[in-house]
Amino acid sequence: MSELKPILNALRRSKVGAILLLLQIAITTAVVSNSAFIISEKMTYLNQATGFVEKDIFTFQMMHFGNDVNYMRQAELDESTLREIPGVIDAVIVNAVPLSGGGSSSTYRLQPTGQKSKGLNASIFEADSHFLNSVGVQLVEGRNFTDSEVVVSNDYAQYPTVGIITQALSEELFPDGDALGNTIYRGDNPVKIIGITDVMKGPWLKLDRRDWSVIVPFVMADKLTQFIVRTQPGERAQVMQQVEQHMLSSNRQRVVENIRGFEDLKAEYVSPDKLTMRMLMVMIVVLVLITALGIFGLTLFNINKRTKQIGTRRALGARKSDIVRYFLIENSVISTFGLVTGSVLAVLMAQQLMKHYSLAQLPLPFIITTAVSVLVISLLAVIGPAKRAANISPSIATRTI
Amino acid sequence: MLTMNNINKVYQTDMVQTHALRDFNLQVEEGEFIAVTGPSGSGKTTFLNIAGMLETFTNGQYLLDGVDVGSLNDNQRADLRNQKIGFIFQGFNLIPDLNLFENIEVPLRYRGIKATERKRRVMERLEQVGLASRAKHLPQQLSGGQQQRVAIARALAGEPRFLLADEPTGNLDSLMARQVMELLEQINRDGATIVMVTHDPELARRAPRNIQVVDGQLADFTLYQGNPAVAVGA
Amino acid sequence: MFLHYVDLSWRSFKRTPMVSALMVFAIAIGIGVTMTSLSIYHMMTKDPIPNKSERLHHVQLQTMDDGEGYWSKDDVPFQVTYQDAINLQNGNFPYLRSAMYKAGFSVHLNSAQFKPFVQEVRLSSKDIFQMFDLQFIYGGTWTQQQQDDIAPVVVISKSINERLFKGVNSVGQSFYLDDIYVQVVGVIEDWHTPVKYYDPNNGSFNDPENIFMPFTMGAAYEITTAGNTNGWKHEPDNTFKELLASENLWWQFWVQLENAQEKEEFGQYLMSYMQQQQTLGRFNREQLTYNLFNVMELMDYRGVVKHDNQIMVALSFMFLAVCIANILSILLAKFLRRAPEVGVRRALGASKRQVFYQHLVEVTLLGLLGGVLGIILAQLGLWGVRASHGAYDALASMDVTMLFAAPAIAMVACIIAGLYPAWIVCKTAPAIYLKSQ
Repeated sequence: MSELKPILNALRRSKVGAILLLLQIAITTAVVSNSAFIISEKMTYLNQATGFVEKDIFTFQMMHFGNDVNYMRQAELDESTLREIPGVIDAVIVNAVPLSGGGSSSTYRLQPTGQKSKGLNASIFEADSHFLNSVGVQLVEGRNFTDSEVVVSNDYAQYPTVGIITQALSEELFPDGDALGNTIYRGDNPVKIIGITDVMKGPWLKLDRRDWSVIVPFVMADKLTQFIVRTQPGERAQVMQQVEQHMLSSNRQRVVENIRGFEDLKAEYVSPDKLTMRMLMVMIVVLVLITALGIFGLTLFNINKRTKQIGTRRALGARKSDIVRYFLIENSVISTFGLVTGSVLAVLMAQQLMKHYSLAQLPLPFIITTAVSVLVISLLAVIGPAKRAANISPSIATRTI
Repeated sequence: MLTMNNINKVYQTDMVQTHALRDFNLQVEEGEFIAVTGPSGSGKTTFLNIAGMLETFTNGQYLLDGVDVGSLNDNQRADLRNQKIGFIFQGFNLIPDLNLFENIEVPLRYRGIKATERKRRVMERLEQVGLASRAKHLPQQLSGGQQQRVAIARALAGEPRFLLADEPTGNLDSLMARQVMELLEQINRDGATIVMVTHDPELARRAPRNIQVVDGQLADFTLYQGNPAVAVGA
Repeated sequence: MFLHYVDLSWRSFKRTPMVSALMVFAIAIGIGVTMTSLSIYHMMTKDPIPNKSERLHHVQLQTMDDGEGYWSKDDVPFQVTYQDAINLQNGNFPYLRSAMYKAGFSVHLNSAQFKPFVQEVRLSSKDIFQMFDLQFIYGGTWTQQQQDDIAPVVVISKSINERLFKGVNSVGQSFYLDDIYVQVVGVIEDWHTPVKYYDPNNGSFNDPENIFMPFTMGAAYEITTAGNTNGWKHEPDNTFKELLASENLWWQFWVQLENAQEKEEFGQYLMSYMQQQQTLGRFNREQLTYNLFNVMELMDYRGVVKHDNQIMVALSFMFLAVCIANILSILLAKFLRRAPEVGVRRALGASKRQVFYQHLVEVTLLGLLGGVLGIILAQLGLWGVRASHGAYDALASMDVTMLFAAPAIAMVACIIAGLYPAWIVCKTAPAIYLKSQ
């Protein structure tokens, strides 16, 4: 480290160049660490398990017209038509489709209205006993609906009083694990918990209630109905092609549309986030490249400027490795200052992001990893020019120009 | 034409003060041709830079054509330089990107002269130094002597009354050096005042008036005044 | 002299092509990244209807009883009830207004040859076309009489007219919305707006509707909303009649107010309306409040711009800063290497200002080149955005403002980067470079 002092002196003399490099490294560190954190958050979000066999499930909508339709009878007919299509495991009419971004939700409490009690906003799925099989979700406790529990009606007065809830919801509402058999309330309407499902995401992946759902055995068929169909692995594409034809063959007075695979629904719902993630990825890659290029260029320039000095050093007995080391140490000194500044900047930036955009706190490992990576890249960018400097001939010292 | 009274120039660094010029006094009359000699580091170049207003001085008085240079700001000095002074350097200092025509044009552009007038003057100068046919050439396509002639043409383009030459023949062989010297003498005969810094005693002897700078001070001897043709052997 | 400097700059580029290309590339990358995110942000935030946004006002009423909360930042519901929408629509004031909501229909011609399709239909007053600058190609809006008489008439957009009637003048023609046989009274140009500001309740960037019918049809034909319904009160709402009488929020209401005085007067009208409703047992609260936002205020209030986009803009400007720092150090090196030449120019009479100006012209040209190249990169970026996220089709594009902003930002960035190097090179003492080469 005997070189450190002359290096510091040299840096003090070429302040601007050093400061610019330091600044670049600092901003790069701050931007990259925060972006990397946002990317990792997005990745966790994008890759979360939904609980569905997405590749085997699709959904579609049907809009009826014509005066003389009995929606209820038509619904039952359609369900059985669908279930008989070869390759279909199960099919169900549902009020809301998971992962789609559209559905209904309500607050469920431990006590009816009027009494203060714990409550959570949960998504509501209204469907018959085929729902779980149609989305491919298992019960972890309790049982499925019986046929007698299923209410097919337009009348909310007959709304069912039993329900199946997700495990995540049961754990939130009943931390002691005694959810099964207990009753929760939507307003004044009781729902007795008869079953608890495995992981199953609701319609809104972004919201807190993504894991909190209540399934109610109620079928209300209307002008607009939504279906979920699960097929044998590999059969889905073919079934999706036929479904419109099957539906219209029993009744032409309707429009079949939005035939979508579950993974497409999810992809569409998360696409803004995916976009942000991709943009950030492109940005940090280019940013690191630009910074590396800047370090590379600046070192080259410094070497050109100091050609004679380097030659003189070589003439005075410096080895090639000494010259390389000189530049590496010089760069490390600047980088270290830059990284420290950058880390502080990163934390400040993260605080702003937290304040304005409700982002989670930037974990320290992100800053450390970024700092180390930037240091490595910065040293890599120096090695080339430094080796070139080491090859400067000592004889240059004796030339006058 | 040029009057320096008690000019001092002190270079200040962290540790040392260097007195480059010390109570420097000089009077140059219109039409003179002066050779400045002196050992390395004596202050010749400092004197020339101050005379050409490329550098400021620490104290003293410098009058150029009656104008008190010490009271001018940087822009006014640039204008004055542009109008009254032509420079000739040892290293020619032609701008490598510009061809001969454009190099000579530079001072005229800074003076804001119209394009047609510029062209006329540049071509006139190129004729004068015998390089009119090479107007479109770049400096690196010429020999050293030719380059120096272009540099002289450039110095003359603005029709300055005062020509400062710093070792104008330092980078040239003796034949070319003689040609350049003859050109300078011709210019002097045409009316321009010339101050030339040189190492070369032979060259210096050709100038009517010689001054010597030693330790930042002036030792004036006008031995050969009025008889430039007579060279006194050593 | 300016042209001369441009010429000198060009020579300077040619002399160091690699370094100059590197700088142009650096600024182009910076501009490309910045303009990609800035263009999206710009399209999201730009005034969607510049000549009317000051005058169009969106009405929100605080209908909820004391103690009830809503997820807006001021607890005021985004939409209004049927009762309030209708009462305001029929209110005694002289301003253009429209109560509105959207519904979904199957569009068909009741023939086996024509494949039905689903469309969203906006139920509104006849004023909507004038208020929102919708241009008629054929016919015009329905009459007040038709609106009051609940006539099954519609105004359709050019693209629907293409699809149903092959683009001919279809005024007087009929088709089916579900089982309602409707007659076309007008055809308008398609409604293009990057932000669906007039009803952002189901996604701010959804496409506008293509069919419009009198709002009076809603109650008469029991047309349910295809948008959000928000309820806060436990009350019967199982039948359509109950829904109409309930406190459920599912309508939007817009009014056109020409100036501050009209806005003031309409505000007073709203207050007295709510007081009058209190006597009927609604609005059970101490403090009566309403929001009367114009278009830009509403967009801001609804947070049309996603946080992600704001973060991207901020980050890309930091990115640009890195590019500037990069260019600054290259320029410093490049200009300092040119110091001897500058020395000669100074000796030949160039003033500091002229030298400074010459170098600024050079960096500005650098910025111009980088900006133009940056536009190409940004187009590439925006193409990537469109490919990656279909809903951003209308947003991920550059309008004229952005096309001009790109080189402007690039030039400003380069001037920022060039100021210091230009200053350094113009203030270096000329003499030291002249002695020898």
